[in-house]
Amino acid sequence: MADDKDVLRDVWFGRIPTCFTLYQDEVTEREAEPFYLLLPRVSYLTLVTDKVKKHFLRIMKQEDVEEMWFEYEGLPLKWHYPIGVLFDLHASNTALPWSVTVHFKTFPERDLLHCPTNSVIEAHFMSGIKEADALKHKGQVINDMQKKDHKQLWMGLQNDKFDQFWAMNRKLMEYPTEEGGFRYIPFRIYQAMSDRPFIQRLFRPVSADGVAHTLGDLLKEMCPSAIPQDDLRSLRKRASSTVLRKTKGALALTIIQDKSKTVR
Amino acid sequence: MSDDTDSTAASCYLDEKTFRLSCGLFLEHSSFLNDGWAWEEVNGSEKEGYMKKTVMVPCRISSTPCQSNQSRLVDGDDALLEEEQLCDQDEAVGEPTAAEGQAAVRYEYHVLYSCSYQIPVLYFRASTLEGRSLSLEEVWNNVHPNYQQRLLQGPWDTITQQEHPLLGQPFFMLHPCRTEEFMRPALETARAERKGVNYILTWLSVVGPVVGLDVPLSYALAVGPPAPKAEATTAASTASASASTSGPD
Repeated sequence: MADDKDVLRDVWFGRIPTCFTLYQDEVTEREAEPFYLLLPRVSYLTLVTDKVKKHFLRIMKQEDVEEMWFEYEGLPLKWHYPIGVLFDLHASNTALPWSVTVHFKTFPERDLLHCPTNSVIEAHFMSGIKEADALKHKGQVINDMQKKDHKQLWMGLQNDKFDQFWAMNRKLMEYPTEEGGFRYIPFRIYQAMSDRPFIQRLFRPVSADGVAHTLGDLLKEMCPSAIPQDDLRSLRKRASSTVLRKTKGALALTIIQDKSKTVR
Repeated sequence: MSDDTDSTAASCYLDEKTFRLSCGLFLEHSSFLNDGWAWEEVNGSEKEGYMKKTVMVPCRISSTPCQSNQSRLVDGDDALLEEEQLCDQDEAVGEPTAAEGQAAVRYEYHVLYSCSYQIPVLYFRASTLEGRSLSLEEVWNNVHPNYQQRLLQGPWDTITQQEHPLLGQPFFMLHPCRTEEFMRPALETARAERKGVNYILTWLSVVGPVVGLDVPLSYALAVGPPAPKAEATTAASTASASASTSGPD
């Protein structure tokens, strides 16, 4: 893992410059100025946009304000997806800054989860961590950790503290080769054009004959349509130690299907 | 841990094939009773699917939906509220009864399989006839007080809003972490008596009533576990399961 540290830091400190514009139909007392912010890829919209809310609330009346939600080109943005995933999925081919529209009315009940407090974000985050550990270690590592350790993971994310986060997360990322490593690789494949929110299935890090599975093997099995046959040779990274979007002990792969079938 | 304990522990979990077969048998009886359960396939994949049922129930709902759905305009730092407290009735208790009314509410229940935890999970959502989604508070208010007590005691037994893993839409979910705890006694007893148990039936009989879903007694008498020689009869069982979901004629 030591040689991965640079990559881990790069992933953690990834930022997306974003321009927040108030939805034109919102009722304001003065004209709304857009608000610019660098969003951490590994965090969640509702966790890092207090400043956005404060900025727009200054020019709005209390009665015109309900739960804040975000939209990109007409699509409500799921706050419970990591920001990096949202950007890669919907806007990676567009020019920066990412233009996001802010709403305070007509919350899209059928599309978005409510997010009344940070506890809800924390619960979602921890639930993802636990599920990933259930796959990696049958939940043994997360269950052996104390409540304060769980809290440290969360606080590390909330306060953007790489060292604080990884002090705990490294336990969850331990790959005991003598015990067969991870039981299964925790991954989710997101596709822009898809009926289902993501693909998530059981996948072992090592094949039946003891050969380490590669990222290409994973994609070939889970999402064959995304990879043209001749591109498979270029996907050589090991699935179990690849640092592609290694966040929160779970691997989140984003696949964007466009004409050139680029794999990110 | 002795081997015996290990195999007992293992049997508290459900593999995907047994999930499908158990649902199939459950659905056969549902078809016979005409009580509305159906199998939904995912993306035309025979292997992936879930059970679904929709019912209309009279419920207490807020007649001023804006207020019950509106989240408090709190600072992001409001970490005081634990998730259990979100399900608390603090606000509802304070509300005058004039703000509540009775209405027919459409409850939609989905039984999905979680491969991460190797157990079934119950998802549900509720909406008024006009199509307004019920809030977590309204759903909570309609949970029987006895069950509310039990849910509040265990932080991991709460009802939370989650994204449906196959549909991508907001649903409520009964947190699955304690599944093994209540399934173990039932499975162990069945083992000891050399009787089979239909995992889905047993599980749904326990979790269903908490969120207003009844499982009539006739199921217990009519629905057994999938046959042990499931490998040989898989195709047949799945075929009959699919056939039974084409609905009562």
